[in-house]
Amino acid sequence: MAEALSVSQALNLAKASLNKVSATIVGEVSELSDKPGYKAVYFTLTDESSALSCLMWRNSFSAAGVDIKQGKLVEVSGIFTVYAAKGRMNFDVKTIKAAGEGDLRLKVAKLAKKLEAEGLMEASRKKPLPAFPAAIAVVTSPRGKAIHDVLRTLRRRFPYAEALVCGVLVEGAGAAASIIQGLQAAQQSKAELILLVRGGGSYEDLMPFNDEKLARAIAASSLPVVTGIGHEPDNSIADMVADIRASTPTAAAERVVPNSQELASALDRLQASMTHLLTNKLDQARAKYERLLERPVFTNSAHFFAAYDILLEGASLRLTQAIPHRLAADEAFIKSTGSKLSGLASRLILPYQNSIALNAAQLESLSPLKVLSRGYSIVFDEKDHVIDSVDKVDLDQRISIRFADGIISGNVADKQHAQLKKAGDKD
Amino acid sequence: MVDETLGIVDDTSINNMTFKQASEELELIVRSLEGNQLELEESLKLYEKGVSLLKILQGKLSEAQQKVTVLLGEIEPESDDSVDTHLS
Repeated sequence: MAEALSVSQALNLAKASLNKVSATIVGEVSELSDKPGYKAVYFTLTDESSALSCLMWRNSFSAAGVDIKQGKLVEVSGIFTVYAAKGRMNFDVKTIKAAGEGDLRLKVAKLAKKLEAEGLMEASRKKPLPAFPAAIAVVTSPRGKAIHDVLRTLRRRFPYAEALVCGVLVEGAGAAASIIQGLQAAQQSKAELILLVRGGGSYEDLMPFNDEKLARAIAASSLPVVTGIGHEPDNSIADMVADIRASTPTAAAERVVPNSQELASALDRLQASMTHLLTNKLDQARAKYERLLERPVFTNSAHFFAAYDILLEGASLRLTQAIPHRLAADEAFIKSTGSKLSGLASRLILPYQNSIALNAAQLESLSPLKVLSRGYSIVFDEKDHVIDSVDKVDLDQRISIRFADGIISGNVADKQHAQLKKAGDKD
Repeated sequence: MVDETLGIVDDTSINNMTFKQASEELELIVRSLEGNQLELEESLKLYEKGVSLLKILQGKLSEAQQKVTVLLGEIEPESDDSVDTHLS
């Protein structure tokens, strides 16, 4: 039954059956051939022990937008086919995407959730941008287009702002730490805000911007941080915690400075409005002044003061008449009152004079010295206390006796209670 | 408000103001003039200061030359086929 086939027939047979086998395959890219002008992109997928030739039509490949490189892990879907001219089996790739990305995205999404739960993305945390920054820090790679896009945009829009460039690694293992260092340098400078920017790249290229430490450094920044990272539609975590997120480096730079031309015309308008305001003010003042000039006090001053003139004259007349008359009456009153007072004074003191003389005589007779001169004496102890009883002295106690004309002292030799009652002297 | 405005604006300090300070000051002056609560003399004084501030601001805008200071790293010159990132 087996009739011999031609080579072409055999390969067509193989092709027909292989075409029915569709598969999704993960492998590492090697031997990449991506030459403009060729209708397809050719590459080989390998694992530890096998290799598979793949081709992908250029239009599908461009549409997929995957940046493939040697050594990169990719996931392809398609069908097996045969290239008859060489008798070779190929895998005809319909769709391609970077492998492992699924895992990465999941991790990033988890981290985003965690940071969001901590409140790091709260709108209330976002710092406002300074209106006219005098200094702007640019944290980015010192190589590549991003830094120049930013500098050009700042120069074009607002050259007044000084650009402070912090050149850092933006790709690879050390990138996140390097960017954090750049942010710190920026915060220690005179910059008023930070632009954190990077040109476009694959999801994996932008992974440093999904770093947790970097996210926390951005959130903790004392200066507002504006990001412009890649062209990815996805937000990186750096974008989410930043104060403002722009889509590209250029957009970020535009976001943070005003446009000098617009500003200049705004200033012109301000000048016009200020002049207008002042002119109005002057017009108002002039109008007020003119209204004042029309008042009767200026237009007919003689008439305005006539009433006062008459009033003043009347008052002056009454004054000149009233004063001399009044003075004479006052003088007579003062004179009569004066003589009445002097007569009254001598009569008022008389009773007091008499009573003073009487009191002086009584005082004299009450003086203790006067009593002593009548032959009495006073006895004192050593402490000058008066001794008025026999019970208040001891034998041999020293006492002194005061007479009207002097003092004598001695010791008590004897003491005796009086037999007879005292005759009640010494008031 | 008025005193505050007059207090901040002082001829010797105008020249040392940053763009931001000068524009904030100008804003205050215009607002005071708009309020129309001032004596004519004060209005004139404010207007004069407003004009000086405007001159300073316009000067800063027209004469500014971008200054670039490198804090970290070394900037590589731009390659010839440079295209703005937001256009590519």
